[in-house]
Amino acid sequence: MDATDSPLDWVLTMAPYRRDAEHLETLLTHNGLPVRRAEGVQELTALLEQGPGVLVATHEALNPQVLEVIRRHLIDQPEWSEMPLVILLDRAVPQARIRAELSVAWPRSRQLYYQRPVTTLELLSGIQSILLARLRQRDIRDRIEREIELRRELNHRVKNILASISSIFQMTRRRAVSLDEFADDFAGRLAALANVHSAVFQADGEAVELSSVVELTFSPYRVKDTDRLVFTGPTVLLRQDAATTLALCLHELATNALKYGALSTPEGRVSLQWSTSHEADLLSLEWVESGGPPVSEPSRSGYGTRYIRSALSSLFSTPPLILFHPQGLRCSVSGPLSHLSSRQPEA
Amino acid sequence: MNSSAPPLRIFYLEDNPLIVFHIEAIIEDLGHVFAGSANSFAKLVGNFDAIDVDGVLVDIDLADGRTGPVAAKWLRDRGIPSIFVTGQEAIAAEHPETALATIGKPVSDTELAEKLELFRRTKATSKTT
Repeated sequence: MDATDSPLDWVLTMAPYRRDAEHLETLLTHNGLPVRRAEGVQELTALLEQGPGVLVATHEALNPQVLEVIRRHLIDQPEWSEMPLVILLDRAVPQARIRAELSVAWPRSRQLYYQRPVTTLELLSGIQSILLARLRQRDIRDRIEREIELRRELNHRVKNILASISSIFQMTRRRAVSLDEFADDFAGRLAALANVHSAVFQADGEAVELSSVVELTFSPYRVKDTDRLVFTGPTVLLRQDAATTLALCLHELATNALKYGALSTPEGRVSLQWSTSHEADLLSLEWVESGGPPVSEPSRSGYGTRYIRSALSSLFSTPPLILFHPQGLRCSVSGPLSHLSSRQPEA
Repeated sequence: MNSSAPPLRIFYLEDNPLIVFHIEAIIEDLGHVFAGSANSFAKLVGNFDAIDVDGVLVDIDLADGRTGPVAAKWLRDRGIPSIFVTGQEAIAAEHPETALATIGKPVSDTELAEKLELFRRTKATSKTT
């Protein structure tokens, strides 16, 4: 009905006398304004539905039926729209009365009156300036549409993040031994999620560098002037979801190392290395701990191990290898680079 | 749930790894078998030959768009029942014939336990073919 895709840059004309109509059409067309002519009420109704930029009509054309069709159209306009009306009046008619009548008949409209004979320059500049105002309305319409789209997307994301937090909460609670431990673990996981969200947001919806995700996750565990945590690898641009998942996995590895592994002693070291092969479409990551207390396989797997297994399996399409080496924990995984990287999006 | 009943094999179509992780744990704690997950309809189709399951849990919005309903219909055509697991219950309701039920997010353990049993009934009836 309101022709939401209409460019609103054309002129709808209505004049009952053929010569008037042709004259108007020629004048406007020659000056670069697309024109469509309505010859009767039905045609007028159909053309109004296609969203003209402006309606130009002679006074003689405005019979009661035409007045009513235009009135309906004006009332049914969406919020952003205010179709301008240009009326050409004869010198002989009671101009003041007509203007008063039309402004009652057509609520919420901008009306512009010209007395015939009109000079070309006067009419053209009037229509052009009125069309410019109309194009600003079109911009507002487009902005409203974008806003609706954004709101929908935002709702989807908020729901998704709430579901994520709910899962973290339930899973943290499941394994918790004490309320303090639960609170610490839950807060740590939320902070990791919040930090990677900031990184993804700063990347402006584009790819996030793997090294910046690693840096971000490691920074809370860094001790000044030491190289307890080292990482090396080539530039890899991650998709947002892959960046989030990897950050949460690294968070689990790092907190585990701090509690039980290499970071629980001053001598312990963690090294994270990754390599890529674009020809083979492969990304491999390896986490190696050393110098910490002797490691043995836990009797049952906790949140961290289970999460890393589950998340890396879905991300890399193959499960990671987690080894409880006596010298230190090792975790390695490799899989298609294209599943994680935004450079080569998935087919 | 009936403790003597054999475990069900469940596959999960979901693009949020944290939710997969959570549901995987519930399914295993219920004594069922978690048969894996995929984050898109395309990956489900790609891995389908390797999937041997009693039922599939299906999210509405996946990594390749709003493909959950298509996936559920695709599975139904191959004799595999689905249950929607989604925050978009209204969208799920638009496809009443494609899945056995809908579970809203966030997922509760008890609701999941109950609704998974629907796969058992379908399994019993489809085995006659």
